[in-house]
Amino acid sequence: MAKPNDNGFEPKIVAFLCRWCSYAGADLAGVSRMTYPDNIIPMRVNCSGRVDAGMVMAAFERGADGVLIGGCHPGDCHYVSGNYKTRRRVILLKQALAEVGIKPQRLHLEWISASEGVKFQRTVTEFTRLIKGFGPSPMSEDGEN
Amino acid sequence: MEKIKVGIYWAASCGGCDVSLLEIDEQILDVAAKADFVLWPCATDTKYSDLRAYPDRSIDVVLFNGAIRTRENHDLAKLLRDKAKHLVAYGSCAQMGGVIGLANLSSRNEIFTTLFGAEPLWPKEESNQDGYPLHLPAFLERVLPLVDVVDVDYVIPGCPPPREMVSKFFEALLEGKLPEIGAVFASEKNLCDECPRERREERITRIVRPHEIEPKQDSCLLDQGIICMGPATRGGCGAVCPLANMPCTGCAGPTANITDQGATMLNAIASLIGTGLEGEEELEAEEAILAEIDDVIGTFYRFNLAASIFKGAQREQRS
Repeated sequence: MAKPNDNGFEPKIVAFLCRWCSYAGADLAGVSRMTYPDNIIPMRVNCSGRVDAGMVMAAFERGADGVLIGGCHPGDCHYVSGNYKTRRRVILLKQALAEVGIKPQRLHLEWISASEGVKFQRTVTEFTRLIKGFGPSPMSEDGEN
Repeated sequence: MEKIKVGIYWAASCGGCDVSLLEIDEQILDVAAKADFVLWPCATDTKYSDLRAYPDRSIDVVLFNGAIRTRENHDLAKLLRDKAKHLVAYGSCAQMGGVIGLANLSSRNEIFTTLFGAEPLWPKEESNQDGYPLHLPAFLERVLPLVDVVDVDYVIPGCPPPREMVSKFFEALLEGKLPEIGAVFASEKNLCDECPRERREERITRIVRPHEIEPKQDSCLLDQGIICMGPATRGGCGAVCPLANMPCTGCAGPTANITDQGATMLNAIASLIGTGLEGEEELEAEEAILAEIDDVIGTFYRFNLAASIFKGAQREQRS
């Protein structure tokens, strides 16, 4: 559904959501009947720490225009420290993306708890808008490469 | 008994692989007694026309070193695949692009502009020099590992392949006991498995380069903050670099169950950083530690960029 002032590009966004917080946050957004763009492809993972660098790269390789990782707030990780590992990983991944010429902002990490349906809605909406503005990823089929 | 026919070819390579063959010391005499070198551009004069005249599958084994950078490299890979019974990716470049694969961070145009300046100065594929036609092989847009162009039967990894692996290969060849297709002449375990340094899995509080500290002799280089690719790299070399106080840079490529060597190592480093701080302070400290790695691709993908998920630079405007 193209809205006015839209560039017509519908990005594919892969969202890795941790089962204990962010996926539950997405569920809350759903049962609360909040609306958000349907561009995201949610992937439930047990912990944001499960999302290794290769999974993010594979998502881009297979045509994702953006990758969102949702994890528990610092201190709240069900497995104590998974989200801290992810946070450090994302710092390095963003630098790697920049070095190979992919905008590092195409990867986004957000802490969303099970009670933050509104934050989930806002994050997805804003991230989708950002990626729309960027256009297709150079690794996607529509990209230049 | 008819001698075994061996061919050695170099594509986009530095020549180190050719030299490494001599590291097998006196075993070279056994090789010379039982094998004939029918192709070895580095040492002998063989014309491509002679090579084309060989019947298909008539060369028992071809050791192919170097990456695929030009059309000539590409065509020779195809030709040698036809002429060889067994084609071996010899060294990091043939296996996964090697250091040469780092050129994939730049496009062909960027490389030519840096090397030659403005476009009219670039070398042409067809030109006329003093009345004679000159043909140069096309420069491909990307560096490719050998495996991306043809099927490869065996891999002898390393930059250059260390003595143990080369020796093991020739032993198998001379005895007629080559292993199953797909074998890699190295360890199935990672480098840490054979490294004598003691690993205590300490949290890294700072990342240093080898020249910045005097590493302790017996303890793990990673524990001391030096990025050592051991955890993500195939062993088989005997951990020669860590034994010489230098970190592993990953030349033997990943172990069989790793898809992306750089990504695996990036995960490992991210997991090992630990400051003991909390909150915003912790985040800032972690960012500062990780900022010490100012060349993420060059560090984690030194030998395998061309074989990685990214393969090289994507053309989005750099930001």
